[in-house]
Amino acid sequence: MATEIRFGKYLKEAAAHYDIISYNDLIPKVERDAEGNELSVRASNIKVRSIDVYRLLQPYISSRVMEQAKAVVPLAVYLMLFQLIILRQSVNDTSIIIAGLFAVIVGLMLFMEGLKIGLMPFGSSLGTTLPAKSSLPVVLIIAFLLGIGVTFAEPAIGALKAAGQVVKVEAAPYLYSLLNDWSEQLVLVVGVGVGAAAVLGTVRLLYGWSLKPFIFATLTPALLLTLYIQQNDELSKMLGLAWDCGAVTTGPVTVPLVLALGIGIASSAGKGSSSLSGFGIVTLASLFPIIGVELLAIYVFNVTTAEAIIVAASAGSTEVVAWYEMTPYTEIVGGIRAIVPLVIFLVIVMILVLREKIHNAGIISYGITLTVIGMIIFSLGLTYGLNKLGNQSGGFIPAAFSQVGSVDGSPLYVFSLGILIALFFAWVLGLGATLAEPALNALGTTVEQLTNGSFKKKTLMYAVSIGVACGIALGVAKIVFNIQIAYLLISLYLVAIVLTYYSSEEFVNIAWDSAGVTTGPVTVPLVLSMGLGFANAADAIEGFGILSMASIGPIIAVQATGLWIDMKVRRKRKKLEPELEEELA
Amino acid sequence: MPQKEMIILTNASLITCVVQKGLADEVVKSAQEAGAQGATIYYGRGTGVRERLGILGLTIEAEKEVITIMVANDQIDRIFEKMYVAGRMDTPGMGFMYVSQLEKAATYVPEEMIEKLVD
Repeated sequence: MATEIRFGKYLKEAAAHYDIISYNDLIPKVERDAEGNELSVRASNIKVRSIDVYRLLQPYISSRVMEQAKAVVPLAVYLMLFQLIILRQSVNDTSIIIAGLFAVIVGLMLFMEGLKIGLMPFGSSLGTTLPAKSSLPVVLIIAFLLGIGVTFAEPAIGALKAAGQVVKVEAAPYLYSLLNDWSEQLVLVVGVGVGAAAVLGTVRLLYGWSLKPFIFATLTPALLLTLYIQQNDELSKMLGLAWDCGAVTTGPVTVPLVLALGIGIASSAGKGSSSLSGFGIVTLASLFPIIGVELLAIYVFNVTTAEAIIVAASAGSTEVVAWYEMTPYTEIVGGIRAIVPLVIFLVIVMILVLREKIHNAGIISYGITLTVIGMIIFSLGLTYGLNKLGNQSGGFIPAAFSQVGSVDGSPLYVFSLGILIALFFAWVLGLGATLAEPALNALGTTVEQLTNGSFKKKTLMYAVSIGVACGIALGVAKIVFNIQIAYLLISLYLVAIVLTYYSSEEFVNIAWDSAGVTTGPVTVPLVLSMGLGFANAADAIEGFGILSMASIGPIIAVQATGLWIDMKVRRKRKKLEPELEEELA
Repeated sequence: MPQKEMIILTNASLITCVVQKGLADEVVKSAQEAGAQGATIYYGRGTGVRERLGILGLTIEAEKEVITIMVANDQIDRIFEKMYVAGRMDTPGMGFMYVSQLEKAATYVPEEMIEKLVD
């Protein structure tokens, strides 16, 4: 028998149950003191149920995990699939690598969150109040020191140090020494370069100078030093590293902190309103360290001999390793050493120079703790995840076209086809990694607004990504065919200089900055370790230089696109102008 | 010269809903599935519960999205409820919402609708 239910009754049952409360009952009562004055209301803390804690934490954590996973997972899957399907090699230590990649995701998540709530408030208050409270020289000195501090805190810098362990001391003793014995000085030199860039970039913003003369003035010594270094066989092995350092420096700590300060100073002087404010510092921050590292390389070459380094290296390996040089302790010490000095410096500036109290000290110290823990977990993941995976895939790729001991039946393909596969692999890797970089997306939006829509966001993103892709492929070709990197660098940078000369100021700024923006904390270690593994398997002397190629690629690509857009706009205007004049008449 | 025609809508209410930045789309989608025609979203910054939650307050964005949706009076309860669930308003710090009566409203109304309803 059918049961009848009135539809309205059903709807009422199915709908949520309403309880009505008057808001009047919820508000706190006004309390008065003895004289009858009203006391200000102090809201008490809310008691949360455990389900509420879960509901609050779950979306907070998952959205942040997803953000990093989006950058890491596709690249890792691409590398593994390529290795499995094209190279027909199983992935070794899969569980360790997956745990490592997981650590990278968690570490980066904690690091970025800590950065946002712990360090960025310092950056923005420094930027806004510092210029008002102290004289220009003091401000510039602080900008310089901040540049050094942020370099040490940059997560990708750890990748450089890790890369040092892969270099064969016999093949390139000075390179080995630079990355191991001199690694602290190396980072310091890079930091000084970033600091100098922060100072000059800020001065440039203040006086509204064009970026072009800065580029010419920085590239001339950099390229001349390159030529000089190229003259010596031993020295020239360090060239790749020197030019790679430029790409490594501009990461998630440096860019926002240094930019906040630079823009703050410029806008307090009334010069920050220009649409291009903020650009240029990143460019200089990726060029100055190159000169610094080149000079350090020459210095190291002059104070030590290859024999001494090799002897020291072989002696060092027999020594008992101190506890603080073993994982995970070295990562913990490294993480603390990277962040804490920067924090102390910022606090000192806040208290002594700005004479300002630190608000929300509890939340800020929580953020800083997160940053340190994130840095430590990220470094662990770097060693066991990204570096291991990159090294492994890099090491297997030469098997596509040449004999590699660890791979049975290599070469897997005919030489020319194998080379094509390797280059194609590198190209796709560069394209994918760059398109996934969140900083590029943000840059694209800025550029579209800046050029009133003539330079579309998509156009920029593809120009940069294709530039990086071609750069990485070229870098791999350099290792395969053992091309001297000096010739590649000099010829490509000459092309870039010519393009810079003819491009408009806006496109010069965009193009040179895009190179620094594209190399994030996931791409840098992966590409770096892939290059090193590749070089080891292909019996090349050193595998650096891929990143430097990935930096020059987008500079040329974006400027060429900019010139092409300029030409299109001009042609259109020429065509439309007579019609417009007719209409006006 | 023909006189300009203007359609005035009555019996309309406005649902305003404040949620954390990035969560508005989900709430709007649920409202549209329940029959809402469209929504306007704008950005703001809020304070209140976030400060009273202690360390858990860090999980809540200070930046907010304010959703305003015009609904017919018959729809109020249905859509209000759907948005409440989609926005998880029963969790502290997630936001709040309210309904206000609109005196009159005007917008584009399709031609055939006008023919059917106006006489």
